[in-house]
Amino acid sequence: MIKVRALSKEFDMRDNGAGVLALSDIDFEVHDNEFVTIIGPSGCGKTTLLRIIAGLIPYDQGEVAIDGRAITGPGPERAVVFQNFALMPWADVLANITFGLEVRGTPPNECRDKARDLIRLVGLEGFEKRLPKELSGGMQQRVGLARALAVNPQILLMDEPFGALDEQTRRLLQEQLLQLWEEQRKTVVFVTHSMDEAVMLGDRVMLMTPRPGRVKEMIDVPLQRPRSPQVEKSTAFVEIKEYLWENLRAMQVGES
Amino acid sequence: MKQETVAKAAGNSSPARPVDRLWVLRRFTRENAPEVLALLAGAALWEVLGWSLGLQWLPPFSKVMEALAQFVASGVIVANLGSSLQGLIVGFSLALILGLFLGSLMGRYRPVEKALDIYVHAFFVCPSIVFAPIFFAIFGLSDAARIAIVVVYAMFVIVINTATAIRTVDPSLVEMARSFGCGEAQIFRRILLPASLPLVFAGIRLGVGRAVKGMINGEMLIAFVGLGALAQRYGAQFDAAKVFAVAMVVLVIGLVSNSLVQILENRLTRWTE
Amino acid sequence: MKKRIVVDWSLRLAVFIAAVGLWELFVSTSQNFLLPRFTDVARGFFHLLFSEARFWEALYISNQALILGFAISVVIGIPLGLLAGRFRWMDRLLNPYVGVLLTMPVAPLIPIVIIALGLGIAARVFIVVLFAFVFITVNTRAGVRGVEASLIEMAKSFGASEGQIWRRIVIPGAMPAIFAGMRIGLGRAITGMVMVELILVASGLGRLLLEFSGRMQSDLVFATVLAVIIEALALLAGMQALEKRITRWAPDISIG
Repeated sequence: MIKVRALSKEFDMRDNGAGVLALSDIDFEVHDNEFVTIIGPSGCGKTTLLRIIAGLIPYDQGEVAIDGRAITGPGPERAVVFQNFALMPWADVLANITFGLEVRGTPPNECRDKARDLIRLVGLEGFEKRLPKELSGGMQQRVGLARALAVNPQILLMDEPFGALDEQTRRLLQEQLLQLWEEQRKTVVFVTHSMDEAVMLGDRVMLMTPRPGRVKEMIDVPLQRPRSPQVEKSTAFVEIKEYLWENLRAMQVGES
Repeated sequence: MKQETVAKAAGNSSPARPVDRLWVLRRFTRENAPEVLALLAGAALWEVLGWSLGLQWLPPFSKVMEALAQFVASGVIVANLGSSLQGLIVGFSLALILGLFLGSLMGRYRPVEKALDIYVHAFFVCPSIVFAPIFFAIFGLSDAARIAIVVVYAMFVIVINTATAIRTVDPSLVEMARSFGCGEAQIFRRILLPASLPLVFAGIRLGVGRAVKGMINGEMLIAFVGLGALAQRYGAQFDAAKVFAVAMVVLVIGLVSNSLVQILENRLTRWTE
Repeated sequence: MKKRIVVDWSLRLAVFIAAVGLWELFVSTSQNFLLPRFTDVARGFFHLLFSEARFWEALYISNQALILGFAISVVIGIPLGLLAGRFRWMDRLLNPYVGVLLTMPVAPLIPIVIIALGLGIAARVFIVVLFAFVFITVNTRAGVRGVEASLIEMAKSFGASEGQIWRRIVIPGAMPAIFAGMRIGLGRAITGMVMVELILVASGLGRLLLEFSGRMQSDLVFATVLAVIIEALALLAGMQALEKRITRWAPDISIG
């Protein structure tokens, strides 16, 4: 269970010493086994928020606690999936997947076995020895996902993981992610730009406003699980999506 | 998902190539025909001008080849080549160790970079030969002086390339490693080192070229052994053919060492685009 | 921002002081009585500048070769580079020779130049040209090749003639690379000047160095070397400033 209370984060701008308030007074909770998507216009700090929860950057005020304990850095209960995949270009698929396990000192046999299971899970059999440059974007992200799952985290933190992919690949990966999630219901915090994605994947959608980043609203998505592609045509889906767009549009138009 | 995999597999198939030396040579000449022709034409022109003009400083190409053959046969080349190469190898190894070490520190730690950057830049930019009189004063007419010159020639390009290589490692890779709980040492070993390899090798290749120049320039100045001394001696004897021959040997050394590094580089960085 | 500059320069000063300290230590513990102290060198340097007319004479003689040689290198190098960049056949013809001249040390050829041209200024100028012009050619060629084909196409679509394309597209577009080439060529020309001085030792700074080392005045040897280093750095800094001014819009793609 992730609890965020009164979180603030400021970045130093070099030139004139003034700071930029990226996040202000963020307050929300993510329950165990819940899939929460975060959406907001550019500059609302959603990626910053995710990186704070991941323990990659420090925060200035407030509290971020996981199961009651405040976080002080990255931890074994959390794993991140990155937008630009962050695969080591010099290592093959297998080595990339076992990276997290190796770093934690897992014996090589165990690493390999675990990796093979995951390769099967994400559908990359036969590609164990391939280098990232030989894979398509979608395949590379599946490697990134496998790597995150390999360390068996409680919480999966996903930073616009399908943002760098074309629409078709994106939809396929969304379906696959949902399938995987049905089998092992991890707690997921998923940052996205796409309203379709936010509603399709999440149990709740967190809507953020920019400059400084604030939580505007937590929107329930009462659509049935497991979600199929058909759900996009349902009234509830369309309504929620419209609601999101109205708000997002107002934020952007207000900007210009 | 299936279509994706099929398409990718098709695009990545590389046909098995027969490892046929003659075939490789034929392909090389076919692709580089104009360049090869240009070189042959140049050699021919050299030959003609050498005979027709009869200048002391321009012997015909064949005479140069003759001198070269003589070197190899008489063993003159071996002794001098040996000392030259010794100086080159020792000097380059030192430059490599110092350069990689300093470059890594500068690339990783900003205070180190800021403290040393103007000095490294100054050393890199000014003509390295000016240090020859200084090393001569410190070490006298010795191997140490020659080796020191090679080090100064080669080291700084390695420092700069290594520092840049480490500094420009994709930050998201470092972040990824940290997200899995990597400590400083692990990040260096598992991410920074392999990721910086391509650029570091570029520096090493440049460094090898510079080292060869340092070797010969140093020897021509502190001319008591090596190919540089030979060049000076034959120059004093007004034997242009022999001097050209020595220059060719130096050229070959440069080409061979460059190729060696290139081969190693290709093997270790097969994963780059 | 200001604070950062102060910190940086304090670090550099600290390194300088440490280096001088080590130097003094090394000299005082060394058996080699020819090794000058830092203070001796500093004193010798000012002596050269203010009380030694022959220093300025030597500087003048040496720089004659530099200026003439560099000017000739530019006059030969740039047109060759332009031609190689524009005409593929010319490029392929020159390519192997350029390659040889780039990688081969020029120094062994100096005795041959002496045989041909004697020990006078002609030989010195020729050697400077030999050292420098290839780098100017190579960078100029890269600059011409680097001009976006789409720009040339655009010009043609507006009916521009060959001459106009050269004047308004190719040459301005290649300017950054041409200037980078001149900067690198200048560095090489200085190397050539120094090389020939030290090997020929018939005139200029080389002769001065020989005299000083013959008379065991190593402090003056060091001081002269220091003067050369300062001149080289000053000239190159000047060239770089000029380059930055003329080419504010371009990224760095220099060769050498």
